[in-house]
Amino acid sequence: MQELYLISLCALVIFSILAILLKDLLKAALSLMAASVFLAVIFFFMKAYYAGVFEVSVVAGLITVLFVSTIGLTKGEADVFESKLPTIIFPLFFIWFIIIDILIMWVLLSKFPPLHKGIPETGSFGEVFWQKRTFDLVAQIGIIFAGVFSVLALFRKKDKNG
Amino acid sequence: MEFGILTKESGVILVNLIGDWYFNLLFCVILFFIGLYCLLSMRNLIKLLIGIEVIAKGITLALISASNARNCIFTGQSLVITFIVIEVCVVAVALAIIINIYRHTGSLDVKKLTKLKG
Repeated sequence: MQELYLISLCALVIFSILAILLKDLLKAALSLMAASVFLAVIFFFMKAYYAGVFEVSVVAGLITVLFVSTIGLTKGEADVFESKLPTIIFPLFFIWFIIIDILIMWVLLSKFPPLHKGIPETGSFGEVFWQKRTFDLVAQIGIIFAGVFSVLALFRKKDKNG
Repeated sequence: MEFGILTKESGVILVNLIGDWYFNLLFCVILFFIGLYCLLSMRNLIKLLIGIEVIAKGITLALISASNARNCIFTGQSLVITFIVIEVCVVAVALAIIINIYRHTGSLDVKKLTKLKG
């Protein structure tokens, strides 16, 4: 179980790196999808089942479809010249960052107050989501409407007269 | 799920990685660095959006691991679901803008957006 969890975390990082370094946009989008799937597996390990299902269906599914559609609509003349230098020096930066980060976190480990286990939540996920976080739902509805109207405005057909 | 502890018994170190918030935080920071590196080094607009998505993965992992450590996984899941909904809307609007930029300039290079005139 611990080994599978560690493998999932490493796979998440590896696919995220591939998503930013691959030159082909379609392969990069599919790598991002794979990273989302492994993140959902990690959520399942932490018993966050609803978040895991949301991650797989929405992020790995819907967002990947949006990316692939956009890549299909902008292919051909949209080849952007990307310098090879960031790809070449990324491993160096990555290893340097990990070493510095582990050192800093090791030093701060003794100074950080421990994250105590709180009182277990009572009830079910539905009760917390629909009753305690009701305002979040109102905000979500507002954001969805804002997104829909923004996309409609951006793809509005222009009149012949301007 | 027990909170992550480090104990030494008979020379063997026992650790519960799944519940260890500090260990998960390391991976959250790594994901954030990867996304930030993409934002700073890439010129393709779609690649920039992919960098933002990688940062978002780090944030959701941090939220779930913290709520798992504090034994309030329902609240953490609610926050993550809210964040994912916002993320989808942001990606949809951003991709619509990218398509319009491509139709207007014929390229996805961010450096060609320095002259913002109609």
